[in-house]
Amino acid sequence: MPSSDHAPAQAQVDQAIEWLVKLRFDTPSPAIEQQFQQWLTCHPHNAQAWQRVSSLSDELAGLPTELSRRTLDGSQRQRISRRDHLKLLAVLAVGGSVGWAAREPLGLPALVADSSTGTGERRRLQGSDGSQIQLNTASAIDLRYSAEQRELALLRGEVSLASNSGDNRPFRITTRVGALGTRDGQLLLRENDQGLLLAVRSGEVTLFPSSTSPRLVKAGEVLQVSPGGHYQLATLHGDPWGWTDGVLSVQQMPLGEFCAELARYRPGLLRCAPEVAELKVSGTYQLDDSEQILQLLARSLPVRIDYRTRYWVNVGAA
Amino acid sequence: MQINDTLKPAEVALLYQSHHAWLRGWLRNRVGCQENAADLAQDTFVRLLRARQVSPLKEPRAYLSSIARGLMIDQFRRRALERAYQESLAHLPEGEVPSEEHRRVILDTLERLDRALHQLKPRARQAFLLAQLEGLSIPQIALRLGVSRATVERDLAKALGVCYRLRYAEL
Repeated sequence: MPSSDHAPAQAQVDQAIEWLVKLRFDTPSPAIEQQFQQWLTCHPHNAQAWQRVSSLSDELAGLPTELSRRTLDGSQRQRISRRDHLKLLAVLAVGGSVGWAAREPLGLPALVADSSTGTGERRRLQGSDGSQIQLNTASAIDLRYSAEQRELALLRGEVSLASNSGDNRPFRITTRVGALGTRDGQLLLRENDQGLLLAVRSGEVTLFPSSTSPRLVKAGEVLQVSPGGHYQLATLHGDPWGWTDGVLSVQQMPLGEFCAELARYRPGLLRCAPEVAELKVSGTYQLDDSEQILQLLARSLPVRIDYRTRYWVNVGAA
Repeated sequence: MQINDTLKPAEVALLYQSHHAWLRGWLRNRVGCQENAADLAQDTFVRLLRARQVSPLKEPRAYLSSIARGLMIDQFRRRALERAYQESLAHLPEGEVPSEEHRRVILDTLERLDRALHQLKPRARQAFLLAQLEGLSIPQIALRLGVSRATVERDLAKALGVCYRLRYAEL
């Protein structure tokens, strides 16, 4: 318990929280960054409030994703043991207004899936039909097999599927921007800011966008599909399949994009300053050591890596 | 800052003398365990020392029992969380199980997060989890939940405010 006489005032805490939301959960403009710096240095209490608020957010960002998700969800679902339950009823009967019993469940259904990975984790699965499935970082899928069909739902993140063509049932894949069908396809799906990236390596895949007519996607094609169901050939600065071999493989990728890519594999925040965002990165990097990738960047490009907090790293001009 | 509006230690001492035994009995009837009741009674008075309270207590026993009731519910909830945590740990592949010390730190943080989540409306709760735990950005969350960015910003600020209070200004 920190001593209360040094506690920053509520107004400063509220301001610090507003800044944190803007800086950490959004991409701030240079003007916003500048205003923030002014705010931060204009009063020691501001800096103090900032220190507390940002370390609070850091603590949470440092939680292991998968373990936390399971625990929070589990504690909600778990029936309170009968003994506890009875005692709890006794408490409520006396107190009446506590409201525990009336509280809704946590509202996490989408966060708990058949199979999922935390940040920085990758997982390989084999379906009961012999299909090969790989989950990339921070991803989740549901998998269902019935007599008529095989079904995979991408709930978040990125997945690669090599459908076992020896199985005659069609494979149906659902995503937030529409459905896909295949029998023998080897494909990759990735949710991104613009909707969904779809790459087909072999076989045939049919895309059923939410609003337009179906499109046959052939081996070698890579499409970007918007939430409205429109699609176009994707522009790529690297190999979308790289992660399935544990690498990040890029060519002439703008540093800003590279950092966003790398950030997917790290807890917390990795931000690239606008003045270096257009520098180009090429190479193949081992995903399992993102710290080392950052050090390599600092050696090969005119950039500096600043650790603002443990989970908040800025890449700026050297 | 808080010094002026908490009860004076002498007042608390007086309350302790007059009501501690009664409170321990009250708790024992409810938790069914002597030691646990003694701990909770102790914790109740610790809370009382830190609670903001300007005027003298008119109904000290009602007030004490309402604090104690809150502590009991925290304890029930914490147990449920701890059980879920142990089960989740058991599901982890061997290499990913954190060290004993780290496990405590994670549990403490999760416990605060869990309490904060219970104070939030469902939408704010989801927005906050998506941001903090899943690392989604405000535009992504807005898209996912079908609300405006400004709404997401407000939800996140509210959630952080609750977390802040639990972390630094615990009653």
